Amino acid sequence: MDDLATYAENTWCPGCGNFGILNAFKKAVKKLEEKGIGRERIIMCTGIGCHGKIFDYVRLSGFYSIHGRSMATAQGIKLANPDLKVIAFAGDGDAYGEGIDHLIFAAKRNAAITVIVHDNGAYSLTLGQYTPTSDKGFKGPSTPRGSIEEPLNPLVLMLAAGATFVARDYPVKLDHLVDIIVQAVEHEGFAFIDVLQPCVSFNNTYQKYNQLVEILDRIPGSYEEAMAVARKKDKLPIGILYRVEEPVYHKELYGDWNPITKRLSQKDRRERIAKLFQPK
Amino acid sequence: MGKDVFSFIVGGKAGEGVRKAGTVAANLFANVGRYAFQMDDYQSLITGGHNFSAVSTATREITSHYMEADVVVALDKKSYELHKGHLASGGTLVYNSDALGDGDWEGIGIALTSEARKYPNPSLRLGLGAVAILAAAIDFDTENLQSLIEREYPKDTQNNIAYAMVICDMARKLIGGKYHLEKGNREMVLLSGNEAIALGACAAGLDIYFSYPMTPTTSILHYLAAHDEDLGIAVVHPENEIAVINMAIGAAFSGARVMVGSSGGGFALMEEAFSLAGMSEAPVLCVLASRLGPSIGAATYTEQGDLRFAINQGHGEFPRIVASPGTVQETFFLAAEMMNLVWRFQTPGILLTEKHMSESRMTVDINPEGAKWIEPLIHKGVGYSRYLDTSSGVSPLLFPPSQELIKWNSHEHDEMGITSERPEIITKMHDKRKRKGEAIVDYMKGMHTVNIYGDKGLVIFTYGSTTMSVLEALKVGGIDAMVVQPIYVEPLPVWELERYEGSKPVVVEQSSTGLFAALLKEKAGIDVGTVIKKYDGRPFDPIELADKLREAV
Repeated sequence: MDDLATYAENTWCPGCGNFGILNAFKKAVKKLEEKGIGRERIIMCTGIGCHGKIFDYVRLSGFYSIHGRSMATAQGIKLANPDLKVIAFAGDGDAYGEGIDHLIFAAKRNAAITVIVHDNGAYSLTLGQYTPTSDKGFKGPSTPRGSIEEPLNPLVLMLAAGATFVARDYPVKLDHLVDIIVQAVEHEGFAFIDVLQPCVSFNNTYQKYNQLVEILDRIPGSYEEAMAVARKKDKLPIGILYRVEEPVYHKELYGDWNPITKRLSQKDRRERIAKLFQPK
Repeated sequence: MGKDVFSFIVGGKAGEGVRKAGTVAANLFANVGRYAFQMDDYQSLITGGHNFSAVSTATREITSHYMEADVVVALDKKSYELHKGHLASGGTLVYNSDALGDGDWEGIGIALTSEARKYPNPSLRLGLGAVAILAAAIDFDTENLQSLIEREYPKDTQNNIAYAMVICDMARKLIGGKYHLEKGNREMVLLSGNEAIALGACAAGLDIYFSYPMTPTTSILHYLAAHDEDLGIAVVHPENEIAVINMAIGAAFSGARVMVGSSGGGFALMEEAFSLAGMSEAPVLCVLASRLGPSIGAATYTEQGDLRFAINQGHGEFPRIVASPGTVQETFFLAAEMMNLVWRFQTPGILLTEKHMSESRMTVDINPEGAKWIEPLIHKGVGYSRYLDTSSGVSPLLFPPSQELIKWNSHEHDEMGITSERPEIITKMHDKRKRKGEAIVDYMKGMHTVNIYGDKGLVIFTYGSTTMSVLEALKVGGIDAMVVQPIYVEPLPVWELERYEGSKPVVVEQSSTGLFAALLKEKAGIDVGTVIKKYDGRPFDPIELADKLREAV
């Protein structure tokens, strides 16, 4: 029996790339448990779109947030209690459109959260409009003559923003994705995974990705090399492109403190306030 | 004007230490045990322009500055021209003779700039010169003045003391001891509305304050950031207001007591997540400090134009609590009470203030022990449902890490927090939140929700910082009145207001269309007589307002 499943009915289209992400995530949770990170400490946040339904399908605590904001919600959860491992799921519309500010700043400040982007190049739940990562020429109901914009490269964006863990993956390579998710959650700072997710209804990329995806045999040796790999168009390398240890935001903010578990008693707080009320 | 009040105005360019001078003047009065009220009028710029600070003091509680001043110090020509008309009879006008040059000027010239040029950064020191002139005029003890300067101007202290002593000596020869101010028996504490919000929220357990700078809330951010370790809290300034409130809601999910603060424009950005807090039942205390609108409006000036914006915040139907304090002292206790209320009912709340409340400073007599810190309803045992359908509509809370499943949801959801679009669940959950709204009203019926000042004469309705103006106007005008000030505006405590239905009250508010008067009519069925409105960005002057109230009788 799948003890990470809920009673919610799964309404993703048959063959959706989200199934692979769901399965990989559940397997990753089990692996993390084996490594001593109990599931009660793993918190999910989701945005709005097809990806967000993963919230209902996994028996883990969390917050079904609003469009574009799962990364902000996740940072708040982490800041309040840094003992938690917080994973923000987002669609490409969430992460690279509506909430791109939170993504960039989470990377910039090295917020200790994991961001998993279900990047399918389409606003599928609203019937297939082009997104920030759709190819130029993408025909959707809002761009009937084809998208006139160049797509955003999320990996380049994240490297430029200062992300300390940048990865790309493909759910068809299930075990590979499981491993990358585990490493991302274990990473102390901001971890980012762009998951190439085929959408069978509006942007079926299985064939394209099956041809172009190749597994990186090693992590590129430098930032510049990572950038070069991120920019590749003839192939779509998957795996960790960049990983570095940098000071994390909550520790820079308040050291080893924890706002919840190390909260002052009412008495101590009162005494401290009374001190500020002394006449100068 | 009743001569129990003494007033001081200092005016000059931004960058000349004008606001600081007002602050130090107020501290100087508090230092000798007098009540004080300080209002800063400044523009949205860093150098130049025209700033002034008006500080009034009395031996009784004083709730407004007066624009009629006993001592006016003009640091530049513009201030001289703008404020010479504010001089009370018997008042003293002192101007910076270097800034005015030769001419036939009224008042007393002191060469503030030439003296300041003997030290580095001369223009920054001019405000201190004004403080020294005030000290001379009221014969403030020299030793006390020196220690006040040490505390208030910690950078370059020796030069500051030297400069102030020279100016003070010059002024003593001209106006030394011209005014005798009776002393009180103990040193008083001064607080701005924003400091009161910060400390009140802390008294009720604030864990994290999230904010993006926006006048007039910025000083909450500054104050809490400066005192985060003293108070045992975290202060976070993220990329924008949308991040502010979404982070805060996330932190509340973890169990942190959170507060966010902004003014109109920034608050508008938070509105989508305000509704999220309503749906997910997230306890979030939001400070909305109004400034003049619409849009950017006049960033550093006051108004009460956000009343409807506050009570109607967020799309969809869900309960919210909106309260607006009438004095700085009340602001402290109300911030604490609101923190407890949003946690008791797990819904967003707004502490509505204005620039005039947030940034004005007044003497307070607060015992922080009077602020409560009430723990919320926590789930015990096994079998947890985040949105358990209870008779009060309030479901017990539980925070991670937990073996139980804790799911907060922006979608309509079942009791477990799993998304649902089933009609019977949608209806059930709407009813649950509606019952919570009713539970809030029931609870508030046992609370002190309306202040009444006075018991005879004219019935006056007012709210927020305008309350302070009204109270001072009644004192200075010797007007008998009964002032009714709803502390809560959503839900409006109609159960307390019904008795005034036929009273044809005068309403005083700082809005161009009379938002508060319209709210009283709509929610409490009160037919308003006269509405005294002011919407030029400046708070009422008590003497002016007293005249208007007399006309209304």
